[in-house]
Amino acid sequence: MSEAVALASVRLRDPVFISDLHLRQDRPRTVQRFLRLTERLASGGRELVILGDLFEAWVGDEDAEDGIGATVSGALRSLTAGGTPVYVMHGNRDVLLGEGFARASGAAFLADPCHTVLGDVPTLLSHGDAYCTLDRAYQAFRRRARDPFWRGLFLGRSLAVRRAIVRQVRRLSEAGKQSMAAQIMDVTPAAIEQALRSAGVARMVHGHTHRPARHELELDGRRAERWVLPDWDFETDPPRGGYLQVVGSEVEMVDLA
Amino acid sequence: MSTVCLNTSMGSITLELDRQRAPRTVENFLGYVRSGHYDNTLFHRVINGFMIQGGGFEPGMRQKPTTSRPIQNEADNGLKNDRYTVAMARTSDPHSATAQFFINVADNEFLNFTAPTTENWGYCVFGRVTQGTDVVDKIKTVATMRLGAHQDVPDQEVVVESAEVVSE
Repeated sequence: MSEAVALASVRLRDPVFISDLHLRQDRPRTVQRFLRLTERLASGGRELVILGDLFEAWVGDEDAEDGIGATVSGALRSLTAGGTPVYVMHGNRDVLLGEGFARASGAAFLADPCHTVLGDVPTLLSHGDAYCTLDRAYQAFRRRARDPFWRGLFLGRSLAVRRAIVRQVRRLSEAGKQSMAAQIMDVTPAAIEQALRSAGVARMVHGHTHRPARHELELDGRRAERWVLPDWDFETDPPRGGYLQVVGSEVEMVDLA
Repeated sequence: MSTVCLNTSMGSITLELDRQRAPRTVENFLGYVRSGHYDNTLFHRVINGFMIQGGGFEPGMRQKPTTSRPIQNEADNGLKNDRYTVAMARTSDPHSATAQFFINVADNEFLNFTAPTTENWGYCVFGRVTQGTDVVDKIKTVATMRLGAHQDVPDQEVVVESAEVVSE
């Protein structure tokens, strides 16, 4: 087991940002839409930037060897082999994506948060879960899940045991979500402002909350903005999904549904 | 270099402790050895391919109270979590180690210090096994089970019967 290196800053030209696809075997339409997007990007000379939760679950890099993990890694591999860079940030669901996935896909990992410049605007990229600070129990879990020793304990177990643990955690988390107030699941504005201030940037792009939007905020007398990426689900009616693209200095949300 | 011997139910393990590189950690560990804290404790978490952990539970999986305050994490000392090194266990708070320790049974590069942040502080190596690597290899392969909240507990208890300072 070795940890893949994650970039703390990245240079992007014409990036396409997606997050929260929650790809899994039993969401074939969502997977198809993702594969179509990768095909379209193959010839474009752009970059694909995935800000977390590409997968609904990832119990270790054995997941890249078959099923949905292999399909998606293979599609990303076609992109990277053809000269389209792919960057992946860990989400809360796929925090265990490791070096094996990076090798299979050719993708590079981004640290959370990660600095970049979009147009001329210094920007912070994040999955977003770190800013849901009112959810104390989740933050405690997040610290643990990102702790290397905990990862060692988890990844040291057999694949079958890991899958069973993930199923159990999912059940507990679903039960918890229903009883929790909606506002706790969103980011805390003060935490976002703090992050922007300490990074010295005026824009953030993140996912996680499934509340796509562009928020304007005032930060120490200056204008700042926060783009929230949409989650994807093409199995439901109406379907939803989309991406954020930057062309020149214009940031634009594109709806795929 | 200080030397400590762990006399376990499966044989003896000699640890050479690196006082130069991890002064506070070694002093803390020696303090627990001298006070007899490790006598009659278990290797309570055994994961072959990762590490064997001990120093916190008595037979019967009774948690043993610790007597000293948590210590400053010295993982930025350049020592790596390579096979047969000994490091301090802790919670996800980097500066929370007390008495529990673990012996790496693989090169666990991902446990090394990379940055002074909560996620990247790493786990502090403070010594290595100089005799009894065969004992470590025997321990790492014992059968384990789930016991209450604890995973990876040896079916047959692996006991540190006594720990002694061989040389200061």
